[in-house]
Parts: sequence; structure tokens; C-alpha cells
Amino acid sequence: MNLRRLLLISVPYLWLTALFLVPFLIVVKISLSTTAIAIPPYTPTLDLAQGWAGFKDFLSQLSFDNFTFLTQDDLYWKAYLSSLQIAALSTLFTLIVAYPIAYGMARAPDEWRPTLLMLIILPFWTSFLIRVYAWMGILSDEGLLNQFLLWLGVISSPLHIMNTSKAVYIGIVYTYLPFMILPIYAALDKMDDSLNEAAVDLGASRLSAFWLVTLPMSRPGVIAGCFLVFIPALGEYVIPQLLGGSKTLMIGKVLWDEFFSNRDWPVASAVAVVLLVILIVPIVLFQRNQQKQQEAES
Amino acid sequence: MAQVKPQIVFDPWNDPKAKPLIQCRSITKRFGDFTAIDTIDLNIYEKEFFALLGPSGCGKTTLMRMLAGFETPTEGKITIDGQDVAQVPPNKRAVNMMFQSYALFPHLSVWENIAFGLKREHAPKERIEERVAEMLRLTRLEKFARRKPHQISGGQRQRVALARSLAKAPKLLLLDEPLGALDKKLRQDTQFELMDIQERTGTTFVIVTHDQEEAMTVASRVAVMNAGEIMQIATPADIYEQPNSVYVADFIGDVNIIEGNASPVSGGPEGAISIAYGEGQDPVQAIATSPVTEGAKVFYAIRPEKITVSHQPDPDRANHAFGKIIDIAYLGNISTYRVQLANGQLISATMTNARRLERRAFTWEDEVWLSWTRTAGVVLTK
Amino acid sequence: MLKTLIPAALLAMCGTMAAAEEVHVYNWSDYIDESLLKKFEDETGIKLIYDVFDSNEVLETKLLSGNSGYDVVVPTGSFIERQIQAGVFQKLDYSKLPNAKYLWDTIKDRTAQYDPGNAYSVNYMWGTTGLGVNIDKVKEVMGDDAPVDSLSLVFDPKNMEKLQKCGVMMLDAPTEMIPAALRYLGEDPNSKDPAVIAKAEPVLAAIRPYVQKFNSSEYINALANGDICVAFGWSGDILQARDRADEADNGVHIAYHIPKEGALMWFDQMAIPADAPNPEGALKFLNFMMDPQNIAAASNYVNYANGNKESQKYLDPAVLDDPAIYPDQATMDNLYTVTAYPPKVQRIVTRLWTKVKSGT
Repeated sequence: MNLRRLLLISVPYLWLTALFLVPFLIVVKISLSTTAIAIPPYTPTLDLAQGWAGFKDFLSQLSFDNFTFLTQDDLYWKAYLSSLQIAALSTLFTLIVAYPIAYGMARAPDEWRPTLLMLIILPFWTSFLIRVYAWMGILSDEGLLNQFLLWLGVISSPLHIMNTSKAVYIGIVYTYLPFMILPIYAALDKMDDSLNEAAVDLGASRLSAFWLVTLPMSRPGVIAGCFLVFIPALGEYVIPQLLGGSKTLMIGKVLWDEFFSNRDWPVASAVAVVLLVILIVPIVLFQRNQQKQQEAES
Repeated sequence: MAQVKPQIVFDPWNDPKAKPLIQCRSITKRFGDFTAIDTIDLNIYEKEFFALLGPSGCGKTTLMRMLAGFETPTEGKITIDGQDVAQVPPNKRAVNMMFQSYALFPHLSVWENIAFGLKREHAPKERIEERVAEMLRLTRLEKFARRKPHQISGGQRQRVALARSLAKAPKLLLLDEPLGALDKKLRQDTQFELMDIQERTGTTFVIVTHDQEEAMTVASRVAVMNAGEIMQIATPADIYEQPNSVYVADFIGDVNIIEGNASPVSGGPEGAISIAYGEGQDPVQAIATSPVTEGAKVFYAIRPEKITVSHQPDPDRANHAFGKIIDIAYLGNISTYRVQLANGQLISATMTNARRLERRAFTWEDEVWLSWTRTAGVVLTK
Repeated sequence: MLKTLIPAALLAMCGTMAAAEEVHVYNWSDYIDESLLKKFEDETGIKLIYDVFDSNEVLETKLLSGNSGYDVVVPTGSFIERQIQAGVFQKLDYSKLPNAKYLWDTIKDRTAQYDPGNAYSVNYMWGTTGLGVNIDKVKEVMGDDAPVDSLSLVFDPKNMEKLQKCGVMMLDAPTEMIPAALRYLGEDPNSKDPAVIAKAEPVLAAIRPYVQKFNSSEYINALANGDICVAFGWSGDILQARDRADEADNGVHIAYHIPKEGALMWFDQMAIPADAPNPEGALKFLNFMMDPQNIAAASNYVNYANGNKESQKYLDPAVLDDPAIYPDQATMDNLYTVTAYPPKVQRIVTRLWTKVKSGT
């Protein structure tokens, strides 16, 4: 391997090291520390000036107490479970909403597609916070949705959606919809239409052709979309905070409390490390899926 | 070629009692303002290997997609086995199609691809296994049953597509440019394999192709199409020897077209005419299959291999022309000579190279005689 | 005192190597008469970069990370106590703060419990945490003898059951709510004893079902629009809701009551970070804000009382005479303060609050 090639390959690894590995190691290090009233608010801190002895001393002061602590209060595992549930369910809802949209886009006449794609991406041009605030206006008891339903006469008293888990699901589905639509659309768009015709030609009804051919063919897109929604939804903080009620327990909120209310950076870091470990499972699965897909395409 | 073995003459289209498997009656297909198919009538008989031949955009694929059920005719009626199929969706037709792209399901193995159609009709498990095994044997794919389409070669994929479309034993198999994606050598081998499989399964094949050589090789009959119309339907030999139009003659193989004015010859064989085509040139002596009026404009089509090149006119042949060799195409087994006549007309003539190159009789700028018989060419009026 | 979760603050603009002298101030949002900013620049020739935040927690995190780049920050009393211990601030050089002579001893005495001798900080504004009431609506659901000036209005489940019809919001701030609940029980609101603190839980849990939302900023609008009829919140916010409703003339009449059981009194303190890029400029800004006329202008604008005795001469009578802003002596004596919780107790407080809100 020549130097140029080596250099080229090292770029993404350096990037990964600088932007992921180093911050992660810092977080791991903090998670093994103890709180202190100081700047920064934990000890020990690594003093490189003291050389090897200082480093050994530093290592001896680290402990796993914070991780043990997480197991002692049921708040943490309940929050992880609740986050997993909210993330999984909202991923499912997002998929249900996104698939028909992506399918319709892939089936739309060629000249419409750029416009449709633009419409999907357009909301990103406004601030995410403003869009979530807009949902507050839509979902509140006196909001547009309730006013509309009352006007229609479908309901006689306002639905309580705002400040409940329902609003959180709506917010997550809305926010992450493009991340689901785009990979599914890409998979469907790539698909040769003659595959469907072949299935029908061989005796499949339109529905079973969809089920047996289109759906499996779009699977890589579906899987990619699910991960792109599930992973950020798991650690979501802003949406449950703005749209959810105080009963919506999510790990992002617990993390915030640890970090800001308790000022316990070490425990907050431990919560984050555990969250990352939980996330590593789907991320590895995602990676494997991508790899398999690449192999299939080559 | 392959079919030299004696066989019973297969020509149901000449039998007035034979019932066609497929009948197209005045089929027209329009896409908006564009007429893809213009009032086509077509009969295809059981066990035929029928070729739809034409350049791209001639409507051959549209016609085939109407047979498959993916398009419906704007006007006219298609019957398959006596049944009007206007209301029959593609998945209910006893017709299968082999797609140009093969359209193999990439997520399914070779075995599952072939079994796909059988599973849709809920055939019993043993029956499916048996049939798939049979198809794998037929297409020599036994070893690849567990592979996915992306794990096998292009030729193997082509055979999987064929096996898949044959698995349900359709009455009619449609093949859309089945060999288009293969390289030349493989294409030739596969042509014979296709014919062999067609013969063994006894299925009616309709092949769509733009490759006249392929159509001539595999088909029992060829329909030459142009701009939504069928120009001629005939056996490959008839298409070649008896084209009914300049278009067909020109489309199939090499041909010399001599344009001239006809006049009947009295006393000669029936239909004998002479065609005057140039100042100082002897008129061409030919036989017209239909009556020709005095002075009518006709086209005389003659294949290069029907013309001999010699230093002296051949007295056994009715037609002679004198000219100069301006070009020689040496193709190994044969050479094609381009000869310019005194009136400027270019005539190609093909001679087999029975002798070695250095002893060849003719070379550039040689003045030679071209000779051919009265029946060597055909007289065309359109 | 989390006002909203939006970290409105921008990153510190440290390292701006402009030739002109700059002073970076980080204050609560909507907390100053903005004409004062211009006035400071005109008087001193220092370029003022004024940034705002919405929560003490966000401010504290920046300070504890170090190198915030700010010269003046305005944390709340109980926060500043811990921050001083962490070594976040530098001692004030009072020789450069001649206007310190105008400070109000009553307030100075109280802030000294967070910042002994007021060595590190001076008071900017102070206020109370109490009851915002939509008078008409509360009377409608509870009758004319509704205890609108008592903590029992919001801590007695029987009252809350009635009030839920017209809506109640409370601060999402355990360090405010737990002391109030303890005061209601007659316990020491400043207790750091976990056993005492635990007594607040059943009180809060009992009223939890009737609370529409725990949020530290939404109640301003909700109260002004008539969407809720009671808010347990900060005095200035509730007065802001009152003024908005009056301006909108929407038939909503809001009153702020300091509960007769006593209310929490809080102090927002100006301080200079130890690593401030321009501590001299910071002192000039502090001195400017201690000018009686200037701080009076700020109080007139934001409806909060300040810690500057002399400034009262320049206050609007509507502000000075409003017992909701400047309570009378008897009420003043009844106000209590709370100091910072030690880390272990802070954890118990946060956990208790999570349990009250989420049931887990």
C-alpha cells in the first residue's frame, strides 16, 4: 500500500477518532469520576504535567460507583425502557406514515419527483424548534386541531393531546418523517418496475406482488430509515420536553436532570455511556445491513 | 445448421382447418396522439416459434405487452385459445413472459425464483419441487439452485429467467429480446438452446427482437414490423427469398435494389418481364409473381450471393452486366465485391473463397461480368 | 430557576480581538430596559455585548466548564453560593464600585447568606414566588371566600380538585416547590434534612393529578389568556401576565398574592467570573447598574424590586407602592430564603421531584 492510499484511508478514521472516539473517551472518563464543587465539577482531572506517576494516581481514583448507582434506583432502567418503547413505537408509526408517501413518490411521474422531494425536505428550512412550537399551537386544547374537529362536530369537547405521550409520538413522527421517507424512496426508486410486472405475470395479484417483491426490495431502505429514526428518537429530549407531559419519562430528560439539576456530571456521563451501549446494538445491526446491501449490489 | 434431420413439415398456417392459438383482429394501440400499433391482424399457431422483428420503436414490444396483458388494445380483439382476453388481467393469463432485463427477484434464490409462479397457484409442495427440479435440469442450472441472482453469470441469469417463465408450462411464452444482454458467442449458443427447449417443451414461443439474424435462426415464422404495421409474415426462407417489399428485402440481409421500368416479355415463362434500368444496360430478365403493366415502376431485389463474378459473361444465365470492381470485402470464407456498372449503379456480389487468397482471380479495378439467373431476384412493386 | 429549556444563549464570543474595549454581559432574558445598554456604551465608550439565558442550570454549566468568555453574569442566590465554592467568581474590588453606597442593607443582609460579606456579588433584582390568580374565575369555581392569599389554595387537594376545572400551572423547579410545600406543612423550608424534605412528597403527590402542567414559563401566557386560573410562579412573571391581560383588555384580571404563610424570596446577583476577559469593564458595568437612576429604570421596566435603596426615589409609584413588588415590612419579615442543597441532598430533591411528576 502506498503512502497516498494510506493517507486517503486514514482521513475517515482520523475524523472518527477526533469526532467520536475522543469525546466518547472523555465521557467514559467523566463517568468514572466523582463530583466535586470545582471547575470542572468532578475529580480526578488528569494532570499531564505530573507524568506517569500522575497518570497512575489518576487511574487509581477512577471507580465504577456511578454505574453501580444506576442499578440502585429503578428510575434509570424505567427511563431506558420507556425511551426504548417510545422510540420503537414512534419508529413503527413513522414507517407506517412514510411508506405510502415514499411509494407514491417513487410511482409519481418523473417530472414531479424533484418537486415532491423538495416538499419533503422543505420543512428543514425552518428551525426545528419553531416547527415543534407550531405543533403546540395545533395540538393544544384550544389548538387548530381541536377547533377544526369541534367545528366538524366530530367531537363535543376538546381532545387532550398536548402534554401527553400522544403529542410526543406525533412530534417524533413529524420530525423524523423525512429520515424515513428518503431511504425508502431511494430503495423504491432504484427498483426496476419490470420486477413487479414479472411477479404479476407469474400469477401474483397486485397486492401479493407488492408483498412478495416491492416490500422485500425496499427492505434495505426500510431498515436504514428505521435506524435513522430509532437512534435519535431514543435519546430525544426536546420533543418530549415541549410536547409531552411530565409523565412522559425519557432518558434524555433524566440525563438533563443529572447534568443540570443535580450537577452530577459523572452520573450524567454514566447514563450517557449506558445509552450509547444500548444504541451500539442497533448501530451494529445497521452497519451489517448496509454491508450486506453493498455486497448484494456489487 | 442444426435442423438438417428429416422432419415432418410444420406449417399449420397453410392449413385452413388449423385453429390459431392467438388471434389478433384489427388491433390498434394509441398512446395519446401516438399510434404504436396500427390495425394489426395476426395469427399464431400452437407450437410455433414466432418472431416479431423490427427496429426499436416499431411497436413490437407494445404488441407483446398486449399479449401479456400489461397493455390493453385501444381497438380490436385478442383471443388466446379461443377466449377473448380483454378482461383477463396478466396474472390470470396462461401466458408468461421473459423480460429483457430478466427481472429476476434479487432477494430470492434461483430455486425460489423458478418456484415463484408455481407457489402463486398454490401447487402442492412435491409438485413444486418436482417441477423446479425439472426446469433446473432443462436449463442446466442444478448446481446454482441455492445461489442468488447476483452470484451467477449473465448467461446463467438468462437461463433462470427462461426456466422461471417456463415453470408454469404456459400455453404461450413471450420473450422480450431474450438474448440482447449476452455477448455474441454466447448469444449464438443460446439461440440453439432456446430452439431445443422450445421443441422439447412444445410451448408456443413469441420472441421480440431487433436482430434479424436471431429471428431468422430461431423462428418458424417471422413478422417484420415497421412503424406500428406488420410488413410481412412468412417463414425465414420466404422472408429472405420472397420479400414482399423493398423494406423487408432491405431489412433482412444484404440486397441489391435495382429500380426500373417493367415490360412483359411474350413467349417466355409465365410472368416473365424485362426491367429497363439504365442507359446502355441490358434490361434485367425476371419473373413477376403478380401481373405487371407495361412501363410500371418496379424494384428488382437480388441478393449478392445470387450473382457470380467472372471475366466472361456466363452463358447459362439470363442476366449480365459489365462493370468495374471498386471495393472488395474479404470475410475469410467469402468475399463481397462492389461492382460499379456503366450507369453508375453499384451491385454487390458475393463469391465463396474456394481458392487461397494469393491465387484469387479478381482484384481492384478489374473489369468483370456479373451474371445471374432469371429467377434469382424478386420483383417488388412497393 | 429554569425558565424554559431553550438554551437561547449563544456561545461566548470569546477571542474577539477587536481593538475597542468590550464587556460581555450574560443576563436573564427580558430582564432589563434596553435603553440602558445604549446609555452604558455612550457613557463609558465600552462596547457592550449583551447576551441572555433562560435558566440558571445553563448558566451554571457554562461557568463550570470554564472560559465562558463573559465578564458579568447574573445567577440566582442559591446557585451563586455553590459557584463561589467552586471558585467560579473573583472578589469584587469595592474601591471601584462607588455606587455600592446606595445598596439596601436589608437586601445585603439577606444575600450575605449566599455570598458572605457580599464579597463576590451585588444584587440586581429580587422577587418572591407566589400565587397568580385569575380573580373572577377562581371565585366562580370556589366561591367568594376562596383562600387566594394562602398556600392552601394550591396545596390542599380539596381546593385543587375544584381549581383543576379552570386550570393550574406550577413552576417546574423543585428548589422552589419543595420549600413551599414544607412551609405549608409548617416545616423549615430551608431544611437540608432528607427526612424533612421527604415530607413534601405526599403533599405534592396529592395535588399532582390536578396540576395541568409543571412549567416555568408557559404560565405567563396561559394566565394572561385565561387558559388557567391559578399559577404558582415568580412575582415578576405574574405581574407581566397581569399587564398583558390589561393591555389586551380581554376581561382577564390577574392578581399576584404573596401567601400569608410566607413566600420564598430570591435574589439575582451580578458577579464577575474569575476568568473574565475584562474585569475592569465588568466593574464599570456593575457600578453603572448600581446608579440609582439606572437601576430604577430597569425595575420600572421589569416589575421587579431591586437591592438599591436610593433608587426608590426614582421608581414609578405604581412599582414602589405595589405590595406585590415591594411588600410591606410585615410581609417582608415573613419571607424566607433557601440556600443551596449539598450535592447528595440535591440528588434527593431532584429525584423526589421526578417521582412527583412522573410517578416513577
